[in-house]
Amino acid sequence: MSLEQQNTHHKNWYDKYYKALLLIPIAILLISLIYLIGFYKSTGNLFLRDSSLSGGTTITLQGDYDHLELESRLKETFKDVRVRTISDRSTSKNLALIIDSSANSEELKSSVENILGIKIDEKNANIEFSGASLSNSFYKQLIIALIISFILMSCVIFFLFRTFIPSLAVIFAAFADIIMPLAVINYFGIAVSAAGIAAFLMLIGYSVDTDILLTTRVLKKKEGTVNDRIYSSFKTGMFMTITALLAVIPAFVLVTTLPDSFRQIFLILSLGLFADIVNTWLTNASIIKWYAVKKRLS
Amino acid sequence: MVKLTLRIYILIIVLILALLMISPKFTTSIIVKEVKTNSTSYNQGIRAGMVIQEFNSKPIKSIEDYTSAVTETFSSGSESRVEIKADNQDFVFFATNISEINVESEPSTKIKTGLDLSGGIRAVLKPANVSLSDSDIQDLVDITSQRLNAFGVKDISVRSTKDLQGNNFMVVEVAGASSKDIIDLLGSQGKFEAKIGNQTVFEGGNKDISDVCRSDASCSAVTGCFPAEGGYACNFQFAVYLREEAAKKHADITRNLSLDQTGKYLSEKLYLYVDNNEVDSLLISSGLRGQTTTQISIQGSGSGVTQDEAVKQARIQMNKLQTILLTGSLPYKLEIVKLDTISPTLGKEFSRSIFLLGILVFIIVSLAIFVKYRKIKITLAVILTMFSEVFITLGIAALIKWNLDAPSIAGIIAGIGTGVNDQIVIIDESVSDKANNSSSIKERIKRALFIIVGAFLTIVAAMIPLFWAGAGLLRGFALTTIIGVSVGILVTRPAFADMLKKIEA
Repeated sequence: MSLEQQNTHHKNWYDKYYKALLLIPIAILLISLIYLIGFYKSTGNLFLRDSSLSGGTTITLQGDYDHLELESRLKETFKDVRVRTISDRSTSKNLALIIDSSANSEELKSSVENILGIKIDEKNANIEFSGASLSNSFYKQLIIALIISFILMSCVIFFLFRTFIPSLAVIFAAFADIIMPLAVINYFGIAVSAAGIAAFLMLIGYSVDTDILLTTRVLKKKEGTVNDRIYSSFKTGMFMTITALLAVIPAFVLVTTLPDSFRQIFLILSLGLFADIVNTWLTNASIIKWYAVKKRLS
Repeated sequence: MVKLTLRIYILIIVLILALLMISPKFTTSIIVKEVKTNSTSYNQGIRAGMVIQEFNSKPIKSIEDYTSAVTETFSSGSESRVEIKADNQDFVFFATNISEINVESEPSTKIKTGLDLSGGIRAVLKPANVSLSDSDIQDLVDITSQRLNAFGVKDISVRSTKDLQGNNFMVVEVAGASSKDIIDLLGSQGKFEAKIGNQTVFEGGNKDISDVCRSDASCSAVTGCFPAEGGYACNFQFAVYLREEAAKKHADITRNLSLDQTGKYLSEKLYLYVDNNEVDSLLISSGLRGQTTTQISIQGSGSGVTQDEAVKQARIQMNKLQTILLTGSLPYKLEIVKLDTISPTLGKEFSRSIFLLGILVFIIVSLAIFVKYRKIKITLAVILTMFSEVFITLGIAALIKWNLDAPSIAGIIAGIGTGVNDQIVIIDESVSDKANNSSSIKERIKRALFIIVGAFLTIVAAMIPLFWAGAGLLRGFALTTIIGVSVGILVTRPAFADMLKKIEA
């Protein structure tokens, strides 16, 4: 089968089903939104917050200790304490413990010192303490920043394309790019840090790249059918996203010695890029195709 | 020889400028980090930033060279001749010690690494129960810097910051070291009062105190140690010089006091308070009654399990008291709202991981590009462009003296990500689609440019709110991302497009 035939085949198939394809991302988005609403109703929060956003202490202690025992003994005093390990993927040896609690840093530190029988100082540990009121205001402000960021991005998109439906399609895809990863993060019970919210902001700017590419090619390119233009954007855009994923996933999976808040940036970006594949090539592409058919572009 | 275009020349020039900004040095030199104002060395003309070449004719190549030359010179304890060659000038004077000069070995580049990489303390402070105006917070920043300097802490950064709600904060970063004493000093109001009965004789700060003896062993020293409950205790003593008015007050208050039973001292003691806690009480010798004395000796003590520890504690206590006496008190209490202590060892580990991660990302992206386009020249152009973007971003960070913390590095990585995306768009528009594409190259580049500018504007728009949200602690992330994408759009992307044209031609 020649390339041309393949394309024709592809076109026919796409012309038939592009509206139906739109249902897939909408279904995922609805499930995510329902899950988020349920999460909000049961916890009173949009997502779980780590100590940098809710107040408390995070101790990153180097070394290989029994984290389960430490956690159960710490739980006697600190109810909300969570102890996790960071391990080296290649040797699966534990490199460090992350102890997170809403407690004051001195209290938590001395308890850990007593249980493990070691001294915690700047040689073996990072201690990060955030006061409750400051963290809560951080949280509120970062959420406001996220909203402002989204609005600014929307303004830029409207300014670029100056047409209502195509711009809205990009903005809608960007919205879904945030909601879907957030639902996944909540599902796995990951506590979001301040750096994590910065990653969501990054996602706003990062994920619209492929949408801009698609919209520009469909609206501004003069040659080829709309399907050709979508397909050429798909080839370029998928490669962009796959390259980004190839860089971001190893960053998260392999480099385990990075601070946890730092690794979270890569996790959120990875989830966001996956969501972006769905939202650009199913959501945005279908809407712009629909728009092009109505407007008889091509 | 290939003729280079203007845009490629611009890239080369900017790369050279970035190299100058970062200025990697292949030899280390010892530079003066700080000279105490009005000290002998200072009056001789030695200034911070000078490179020390020789000390008493000994070449200085490392901190060890410097310390051994200094120890040798002053080992006798008596006044010695000092000859320093710095910045090709000779400075000759006599001294008993050279503690007025602080040196450091010059970093191998001018890139400043933040706390996440070098370790240290980051504290965010807020005045308790008062809201401060912009000028108040500037005063607070000045007093705090002065205090930390007086305390002898190096490598500090004190700045004010504002959040979206208009609250003022002070962010203090101390690189390298972390100690409880610094944290205590930061959080304390530092109100020093010397009282006889309930009358205040003098307070800490410039109003009552003209000078505090610090580095001179004849008037500031740990005087003696003795076994005490649970270990040892050591006394310290240092001289404080009062201003005329405070001295007169002392005379007025002591004039009416009687002598105690021994007849050697006055009936009332001089009580010393720091932040309303009594820290010590001193007997006043009978000879001082009604005297306008400007020199007062302050005493105190420190304790520890071992004698060494007690000496160390006494020194720390003395230093704290001297600092507070010199710099005076803050007009309000401070609250530490955020405190991060980052271990230098973990910081080093982090730097190593970042470096590995950088290389890994470079390799993966290059491989992906090569697998897709099967052209070594294009792959090399992409690698060169990625490298240039990181290098120029680091150069700009060095130029504006930005401390690279973890968020800033994440921003640089994000910058590379969008950079690669844009390069793919340029390649696809200008190279791969050529066969079945009837638009002119100009039109296609124009379209690529539209996409790239669009992506640039959205990422800048998305990052802007981070400059203010959360007391600006994530500012580095926004800043390096914006620098990275700007460098991309202004310098590297145009050059990359031209490189592609050359490759295709």
